Amino acid sequence: MSLERKDEHDHGAWLAEKELSLIEKTYLMSLIWLDKRFRIVDYLELLEDMYYKINLQMPKSHTEQYNLDNKFWYWYPLYALGSFSVIAYLVAAVSGALLGFYYAPATGTDGDPIAYETIVAIMKDLNFGFMLRSIHRWAAQVMVAAVFLHMLRVYFTGAYKEPREVNWIIGVILLSLTMLFGYTGYLLPWNQLAFWAGQIGVEMSLAVPIVGEWTAQLLFGGFSLGQPTLQRMYILHVFVLPFVVTALIAIHIGIVWMQGIAEPH
Amino acid sequence: MSENESNEPRTDGSGPGIVAPDDEVPTWRERKERTTGLSRVTYEYFERARREDQDLRQESSYVERDVLGFPTWPHETIRNIALASFFTGMLLFLSAMLPPHLGDVANPAETPEVILPDWYLYWSFGLLHLDPINPELAIVGGEKIMSDELYGVLANVVVVGVIAILPFLNKGSARRPVEEPFWAALGVGGVVFAFTMSILPIQEMFPWEVAITFDLAFFLPIIAAAITYAVLKTMREGYMYDLNRRYYRLRPPR
Ligand code: HEM
Repeated sequence: MSLERKDEHDHGAWLAEKELSLIEKTYLMSLIWLDKRFRIVDYLELLEDMYYKINLQMPKSHTEQYNLDNKFWYWYPLYALGSFSVIAYLVAAVSGALLGFYYAPATGTDGDPIAYETIVAIMKDLNFGFMLRSIHRWAAQVMVAAVFLHMLRVYFTGAYKEPREVNWIIGVILLSLTMLFGYTGYLLPWNQLAFWAGQIGVEMSLAVPIVGEWTAQLLFGGFSLGQPTLQRMYILHVFVLPFVVTALIAIHIGIVWMQGIAEPH
Repeated sequence: MSENESNEPRTDGSGPGIVAPDDEVPTWRERKERTTGLSRVTYEYFERARREDQDLRQESSYVERDVLGFPTWPHETIRNIALASFFTGMLLFLSAMLPPHLGDVANPAETPEVILPDWYLYWSFGLLHLDPINPELAIVGGEKIMSDELYGVLANVVVVGVIAILPFLNKGSARRPVEEPFWAALGVGGVVFAFTMSILPIQEMFPWEVAITFDLAFFLPIIAAAITYAVLKTMREGYMYDLNRRYYRLRPPR
């Protein structure tokens, strides 16, 4: 009695009787080896299923249904603004990750703040550092601009109406978070502008009754600015916001995909 | 070992290892139908929704075309890559041409003359400077009921809140601004308001009286909105006539 199974599921025998090129053989052997362990075939079916679902014919759009597309809708270029926000966000993410290798969120005790000095070092000593910082700044500025303009295009083409309320609200949250992204980043160089913008932030939260002091403690690490403020801004900027904003953008675009772009009449 | 031809279940580990569903095993659908509570209502609703969808599809006179658009690959993909590369290129060009500068180091002892956030927060910063219109209550001896700072924070909350509830205020299928002059005017007024609010933090720097700047900050948006409304109302008739003619020629009313 042998443990080898001799039936139609003997893939080894099947493989042997086929005439295969070396590539096909290697491929099949690794596939079978992996499939025995991970049951890949199940996942392939899942993928196949998804493939056909994705490639379902979408319902006809308004312009197609009423054959209005022979008239050029000259605002269409503005429909790229949402994608431009995404691209600028990606560029900012990549350049930001590189900047993060060289930046330290510390105020230090004497002399110029360490954060400020690391940025001076990035700009003066690091190869390509000046450009890197420039790219990050501009990507951020352009992203905020694109998001604002995207909101305006959605407003003036009436694309926010029923049934797209949820996406509009997610958009408002995204807009606020984008500005918060910018604000927390603005504080990181710890220069005069950063410090006094932070000061305004603290004053704003302290003005709110009941939860104000708590908010100032949580976000700014106290009622006056210092190391805790800088550290919190850093964590918000490079940890919390990236996760939240990326997830929300994914949901936002997922919803656009489900609902389709609102066609103009 | 002899091959066992019969279909009797075996316990030696060979064989299909899966018990075929017989009459005893409930199908997935039956399982769902037997559930209770929330999952039961969810199931019932989905059944209804699916039936409704199907009925509507069968009733509709909608004709499927063979090709509903152009292919994602290569047409759409190439176009998107081209657009994305161009945009990224512009970004890099901008970065190379206009590098940022790094101001003076933070100095808590010295308040700068002009404190400003980044440009996209100007409007929000401007809303913090609304103290001249923070209401005073006669009952509490002409004192303001809330601090100017709190008033500014609330103004921010109100502005963002109003934007957030827009889809619940304006419904319907109109899309083009001419179709709804009021909402277009509101939008234009809002945009101009964002700009005029942005100059409030530097209102002292103009060579005329502060009050004039402050009043202009509220009048300009209203004027812009009024002009938009008038223009769109005037355009509307001819425009809607054309649009309707096209629309109804293609889709005569039932
Ligand atoms: C991080 C910021 C944002 C990103 C990355 C983003 C991305 C996108 C993209 C790619 C689309 C597809 C259509 C297009 O590109 O125009 C879209 C549609 C949409 N966005 Fe955004 N968006 C952002 C912010 C906003 C904001 C601030 C709002 C409004 C307050 C908004 C509301 C909408 C709505 C309602 C749609 C559907 C429009 C339609 O169906 O025509 N989004 N978004």
